[in-house]
Amino acid sequence: MSGIDAVKKVVETETQARRIVDEAAAKAQKVISETREQAERIRQEAVANAQGRREGILRDAKEKAEAEARQSDQETEQILDTYRKLSDERKAAAVSKAVELILNA
Amino acid sequence: MSESLEKLQNRILSDARLKAEETIKEAQAKAQQILEEARRRAQKESEEIIAKAKVEAESVRRSILSSKVRVNRLRILDEKNRIVQDIIHTVEDQLSSIARTDQFENTAQRFVAEAVKAVESDQPIVRIGFRDATKKNLDGMSRVLPKGGKLVIDEKPIDDFGGVIATDPEGRVVFNNTFKSRLERLDNQLLTLIASTVFSG
Repeated sequence: MSGIDAVKKVVETETQARRIVDEAAAKAQKVISETREQAERIRQEAVANAQGRREGILRDAKEKAEAEARQSDQETEQILDTYRKLSDERKAAAVSKAVELILNA
Repeated sequence: MSESLEKLQNRILSDARLKAEETIKEAQAKAQQILEEARRRAQKESEEIIAKAKVEAESVRRSILSSKVRVNRLRILDEKNRIVQDIIHTVEDQLSSIARTDQFENTAQRFVAEAVKAVESDQPIVRIGFRDATKKNLDGMSRVLPKGGKLVIDEKPIDDFGGVIATDPEGRVVFNNTFKSRLERLDNQLLTLIASTVFSG
């Protein structure tokens, strides 16, 4: 083999080697790029899940508060009923004491 | 010559493959790092959303409940107030009708005596007026006046429900002893008495 042929062979081999390195760089770039997309998908999925849980938490809190509010309404109705009954039973005594106070104080 | 060239070629290719392998490994390691970081950030972001949601939920709950509790407290206060006012109106009606009862003369005389004492005058002028009071059952009032005193009988009840107003001759000292005035003076005691009678125990 002549010296020129040998140089040609070396140049060809270096070209092949550069292609191997370039292909690896491109593949690495692709891996990073796909991973960034995957990372973004992970984030979006996690946020969407969290938003779903948030809606659930708020819905539960509202339902619980509304149930407690209904309970408060029922308790209030009971108190009002009690006051009305007490008023019916004790009005005459209260009027009598009040008249006595105004007349004799 | 050709053997050493082949070795050189193999070396060049081997170096390139090694470098390529390192590049891929670095990329894979970086990718792993990116994913771990993404998962950590996603976890953190989710936790922040949930923590805020819990605070927001408590605020929603408090808002719904406090507004309901406020409304119900007002309903209870309104009802108590309605009951007390109803009793006070009945009291006013009974006081207005006192002239029809056998308590009247004693009560009216006492009201006159209190009013006369309050103005501290030898010549008090006493106006008296009760609903349904007759001249006959008011005549006895003169007995509790000092000699120089003057009794003025109003045909209509004074201050809506009736009572007595005494002044000195110059009108500088006035003592209002009408039911309305006594109701106002005894307002706090009256409300406490009615509330404790109806709502306590």
